[in-house]
Amino acid sequence: MLGLAASRKIAWSLTAKPDEELIAEVLGGDSAAFNELSSRHRPRVERLCQRFFSDPEIARDLAQEGFIRAYTALRTYRAEMPFGGWLRSIVINLCYDELRRRKRRPEELVGDFGAPEVQWMHLVNEASPENIVGDAEERQEAHDLAHRLLDTLRPEDRMVMVLKESEEMSVAEIASILGWSEAKVKIRAFRARQALRKQAERMLAVGRRR
Amino acid sequence: MNCFEARQEFPALWRKTATPERSAEVYSHLKGCAKCDHAFRVFALSAPVLHSAVEPERNAAEFRRRVAYRAQRGLSVTRPAREPRRLLAMCAGMMVLFAASTAAYLSVAAPIGSYTDEITNSDSGYEFPVDTAPTSNDFAG
Ligand SMILES: [Zn+2]
Repeated sequence: MLGLAASRKIAWSLTAKPDEELIAEVLGGDSAAFNELSSRHRPRVERLCQRFFSDPEIARDLAQEGFIRAYTALRTYRAEMPFGGWLRSIVINLCYDELRRRKRRPEELVGDFGAPEVQWMHLVNEASPENIVGDAEERQEAHDLAHRLLDTLRPEDRMVMVLKESEEMSVAEIASILGWSEAKVKIRAFRARQALRKQAERMLAVGRRR
Repeated sequence: MNCFEARQEFPALWRKTATPERSAEVYSHLKGCAKCDHAFRVFALSAPVLHSAVEPERNAAEFRRRVAYRAQRGLSVTRPAREPRRLLAMCAGMMVLFAASTAAYLSVAAPIGSYTDEITNSDSGYEFPVDTAPTSNDFAG
């Protein structure tokens, strides 16, 4: 009983430690402290990777690779920036490299959708907004279609779209992480929105026809 | 609530982080505004990836099986856009084959771009906005 309480207390004290303290422990030779750091940041990092890659294995591998790189580069980390932000910039660049490696040009949206996907497109056309929001979470096909839609974007457009919309990063932050000019970020964001809207309109038209 | 305010709330609506009162206001606006209603439906197609907090648990093996199945049936999720070089070769071939017979036709017919051309070049000539604020603004109907 006492052991359990003690272990809970230890667990609590570990989770309560700020990132900077854990980093100091890792740099001091306690590599186990990095496990705590990674489990703390893993959900956010994995979700970020999932926004770029629908294949769960690729997303997991990239998240893993991000933590490995962060571990090996930990001595270069400077505390002026939160650890989460530093880690995120590593993962973003990994995802960008992987997107470019896999797909050098945008992909066409092929009009041959499966039955569940057509059902979802039909629902998005016909259902009330409340029902659309309520249904989307549990429907795998809603996520599959969204990935198909985003797959039509150029890698750099998809980067900007995800970083602005999902991560809510500013133009300046995106420019700094990717090493681009702010003008380039704005242009890519504008083009990404236009292209995405066009493809979405096309999907809605498919849903209306069936 | 005006159209701009309603569209600003789309991400919060999707993430279910908007207050019940705010959500009700947005839903009520959507009921009475066809343009915003359409903009919401456009938004909803990419929102599961861009705005959902989680993705349904995917089994990697199951995912690969489905991708393989689609590929077998020719139902690829997406396929690479035609390479520019292949496109050029096709154009050159067509020109050689039909040069004589189409010369007259081409001189009067309006050029028709491919779908890929349309999505990649649609913005040319457009003046870029100074601020590239959230997408929901741009999902205008
Ligand atoms: Zn409106």
